[in-house]
Amino acid sequence: MTTAEKTYYVGTDMNCGGACLLKVHVKDGVITRLETDDGDEPQLRNCLRCRAYRQRVYHPDRILHPLKRVGERGEGKFKRISWDEALDTVASQYKRVKETYGPAAMIYLTTGGDIGQVHNTRTAVRVFCLAGGCTLMWGVASNEGWMFACQATYGYPVGNDHRDLPNSKLVILWAMNPAVIIDGCGTAYHLALAHEKGTKFIVVDPRLTDTAAMVADQWIPIRPGTDSAAMIAMAYVMITEGIYDKAFIDKYTVGFDKFKEYVLGKEDGVPKTPKWAEAITGVPAKDLIQLAREYATIKPAALLPSKGPGRTAFGEQFHRAAFTLAAMTGNIGKSGGSAGSEITQRGEIPFAMGPAMKTGGNPVDAGSPMRKDALPTPISKGPGLVARLHNSEIWDAILKGKAGGYYSDYKMVYIANCNYLNQYPNVNKAVEAMKSLEFIAAQEQFMTPTAKFADIILPTCTFLERNDAVWGAGPHVAYQPKVIEPLGESRSHLSICDDLAARLGISGYNDKTDEQWLEQIMTPCVGDFEKFKETGVKKYYNPPSIPFKKEIADIENSPFPTPSGKIEIFSQQIADMNNPLIPPIPRYIETFESCNDPLARKYPIQMTSTHPKRRSHSQFDNIPWLREVDPQVIWLNGKDAKARGIKDGDLVRVFNDRGKVIIQAKVTERIMPGVADLPEGAWYDPDKKGVDHGGCANVLTIDRRSPGGAFTSNSCLVQVEKA
Amino acid sequence: MQIGFYFDQTRCTGCYTCVVACKDWHNVPAGPASWRRVKTIEEGKFPDVFVAWLATSCYHCANPACVAACPAGAITKRKEDGIVVVDQARCLGKDKCDLCLQSCPYGAPQFGAEKNAKMQMCNLCFDRLEEGKKPICVAGCPMRALDAGPIDELRAQYGDKTEAVAFDYSADLKPSVIFKPKRKRSLVGGRK
Repeated sequence: MTTAEKTYYVGTDMNCGGACLLKVHVKDGVITRLETDDGDEPQLRNCLRCRAYRQRVYHPDRILHPLKRVGERGEGKFKRISWDEALDTVASQYKRVKETYGPAAMIYLTTGGDIGQVHNTRTAVRVFCLAGGCTLMWGVASNEGWMFACQATYGYPVGNDHRDLPNSKLVILWAMNPAVIIDGCGTAYHLALAHEKGTKFIVVDPRLTDTAAMVADQWIPIRPGTDSAAMIAMAYVMITEGIYDKAFIDKYTVGFDKFKEYVLGKEDGVPKTPKWAEAITGVPAKDLIQLAREYATIKPAALLPSKGPGRTAFGEQFHRAAFTLAAMTGNIGKSGGSAGSEITQRGEIPFAMGPAMKTGGNPVDAGSPMRKDALPTPISKGPGLVARLHNSEIWDAILKGKAGGYYSDYKMVYIANCNYLNQYPNVNKAVEAMKSLEFIAAQEQFMTPTAKFADIILPTCTFLERNDAVWGAGPHVAYQPKVIEPLGESRSHLSICDDLAARLGISGYNDKTDEQWLEQIMTPCVGDFEKFKETGVKKYYNPPSIPFKKEIADIENSPFPTPSGKIEIFSQQIADMNNPLIPPIPRYIETFESCNDPLARKYPIQMTSTHPKRRSHSQFDNIPWLREVDPQVIWLNGKDAKARGIKDGDLVRVFNDRGKVIIQAKVTERIMPGVADLPEGAWYDPDKKGVDHGGCANVLTIDRRSPGGAFTSNSCLVQVEKA
Repeated sequence: MQIGFYFDQTRCTGCYTCVVACKDWHNVPAGPASWRRVKTIEEGKFPDVFVAWLATSCYHCANPACVAACPAGAITKRKEDGIVVVDQARCLGKDKCDLCLQSCPYGAPQFGAEKNAKMQMCNLCFDRLEEGKKPICVAGCPMRALDAGPIDELRAQYGDKTEAVAFDYSADLKPSVIFKPKRKRSLVGGRK
C-alpha cells in the first residue's frame, strides 16, 4: 500500500553554520525530492550542497552496520559486527586505557560535523567526562586566531549582520567570499542588494573569488600572509595625513600611542610606509594609499575580513590590525560600519534557549594547570588548559607523548563529527600517528579517510533520520523532524551514547528522549513548541544587530569586557605573556614559509587552501551531483603554469617535504602569480607510495600553531610540476 | 502565450545551485545530461581580469530549431504556453540520431550516458507551473538571479534586453529569454 507524499521543512545541519531550510518530500518512507524555503522572506535558501542531500542520504557508501577492522589501518577492510560487540569493544578499550595509562590517554577528537541542539559533539563528551575523563582539544581550525584577537581587543567575539550591508557606503571584503562560504544564509544575496543600492565594494584577496567577480568594483591582489603589513601601512597613511578619527580613538581605545610609535617607525626605525608594505605585500603603494583614504573618509564603511588570512603564522596580528583600523575610522558600533570582524547573518535570537545536555565536567581538565600564553575567556577556561591539545599539534602529541613535553601519553582516540585525519594539517604525520595508537573508534556516516583507520566504526544517521533543531549563524531557529527511519542499523548520536554510557556503568547519563530534550531546549526560545514543530522554522524579524552598539552608545555604563573597559589596541594581558611573537600591539611579523623564506628556493609557490563551493569542509566530497559541477583542481596563474609547461587541465604534482599530491591544474588569471590554491576538504586518497590522488590540501600544510593559537594552513610553500 | 526565462547575469556567482536543484527535482543522475548548465567566462590577464557566468537551459524558442530538425516528430511546442517538450517514446535515441542537438545553438538537448539515450531537456517545470509555483531553479536560486513566467510579463518587469556575455540571440529562433547583462569593466585601480 502506498501513502500520499508528505513534505517537511527541515533546518540543515552541516559544518557551514548556514542552517538553511530544506523542504523534503517523502513517500512510503523514502525521500523523493527536495525544495527549499518557500515561505516568508528572508527565505533561507539552500546552496547546491544541501540541494544534493538526497544523494548523501542514499549514497551507496553509507555505513549501515557496525564494523570491525580486519585489514591494516587505513586499508579500508572491515567486517560487519553487532552493535553489542561494537559497543562492548569500545567500552572495554576505554576502561583498559584509563586503568593502564590514566584517562588523559584517551583523546576525544571532534568538531562541527553535526551542529544540532541535541545530536552534536556534546553527547560523547558527557560519556567520557562521566566515565572518568579524557583529553579534549583547543584551537578551532576555522577561527582561533580571530578568537584570540577578539578576546584581546574587544573582550568578546562579534560578527556583522549582513542585513545591515545596504547601509554601508563602502565595503572592503578582505579575503571574504560569502558566495561560497555559507556562514550565514543569504550573505552573498545581501552583498548584491547593497551593490545595487550603490555601495562600493573593494576586494583584497590573492584570488578574484566568485564573490569578487560578482560584486567587486576594485580587486586588490595581495600575497598570502602579508595582510597585516598592508593594514599597518593603511594606518600609516591615516596617521600621517591626519584623517583618522581622533575623537573615537581617544574616547574608546587604549594604547593607540604605542601603536602609532610602531607605525611611524619611532620604535624600530622603520616607518611602515605604503612603499614598505608594497615590497612585502605586492600591492602597489598607490593602491594602499587610495584604500586608506577611502576607508578613512567614506562613511559609514564596513571592513569585513574573513578568517582565512588569520589562518597563517601570526594570523592573530591580521585580526588585531583590522580591529585597529575599524577603530581608527570610527566605524565601530555604527550602522553601515563594522568592527573589522566577520560578515555573516548575525542577529540575535531574542530569547535564550533552555538548558541542553551538560558535559558533567572533565576530570582531566579539572586537574590541569593553565597555559601561560592563554587569554582569560569568559565562556570557558578550556582553551587555556595545559591538558588540552591544540588541534594542529595532535599528531605530534600522539607520536611523542610525555617525552615530547605533552601532558600525557596518548593511546586511544574516539572520533565523532569529523573527518579528523583529513582536516587537520600534515596528513602523512597523521597516518603515522593513527597507526601508532592502541585503539581507535569512530562514529561515522561514510568510509572517510579517517574512518579507514578505525578499529571499530559506529554507524551514525544523518539529520533527516532523527529529531533535532538547529540554530546557525542567523536570527532563526529551525526544527529537524525525523523524516525517515535511520538507514540500516545506523543510529543517532544520543542513542549511541546512551548505550555506550550504560556499558561504562554510568548512571544518570541521560533521562530524556531527543523530543524531550528539544522541548526543554526550544520552548523558552520559540514559545509554542508544538507550533514550532508544525511550521519547522521560526524567524525573528528583529532589526539588524550592530556589533558593540551598546558599548559605543554609552561606554561609561557599558564598558567593553576588557581589563581597561575599552578597545585594547595595546593589551597589557598580552604584554604580560612576554612573547615577542605575540606582541601587545598589532604588528607585522613575517610568517614562516613566506616567499622570502630560504625554503622558497626549493618550494617557490605559496599555497592557500580555501573553501570550495561544493563541500562544507570535507562534508559532501563524495556526492556525484556536486563532484561533477566543481571538480577538485589546483588554481595556478598562467605565468607560473607556462614556466612549468603546464596547461589547463593537466595533472600536476604538488609537493613539499611533508607530502605529495597529484591533481588537475586549473590555469587561471584569477589568482596572483606565485600563489596556488588547493581547496581544503577533498578526501585523501593515497597510492601505495603514499602520494595522494584526492587533492587533500592537508597533505601539504604544516602542523605548527601560531603562538596565539591560529592555524597556519595558509602559510605553506610548495612546488608544482607537470605530473 | 509564451513562458520564458529571465536571468540577471550581474547577480550570478556561478554557484550551480540551479543545476543541482534541477537534477534532484527531475531525478537526473550525475553524468552528461544536465537540463540546466552554468558556463564560466574568464577574460583578460592578471590583474585585469573579467569573470561572468551564464546559467542556461532550454530557451523554449518561439521558432524552435529542434522541433523542425527532429525526424521522428518527438519534439513539440505546446500551444498553451510555448514550452518545448520531448516525447521520449518517439525519440530515435542518440546512437541513431542527434539532429536536435546539432540544430540547437544553445546546447539544450541532453542525453544520458546510457546506450541509445533518449533526448531529455528543460521542460520549464510545467508540473510546478500548473501548481502556481516557479520552476525549481528559479525558486532555489540563492541570489534571486532567475525568474520565469509569461515572457510579456517578464519584459514588463525587467525590460527587453536579449544580450548577455557569452550569449548570442538568434533572431530566427527567437529564444524566450531576457537578461540583465553583465558589463565588462576593469577592476584594477578602483575605477567604478
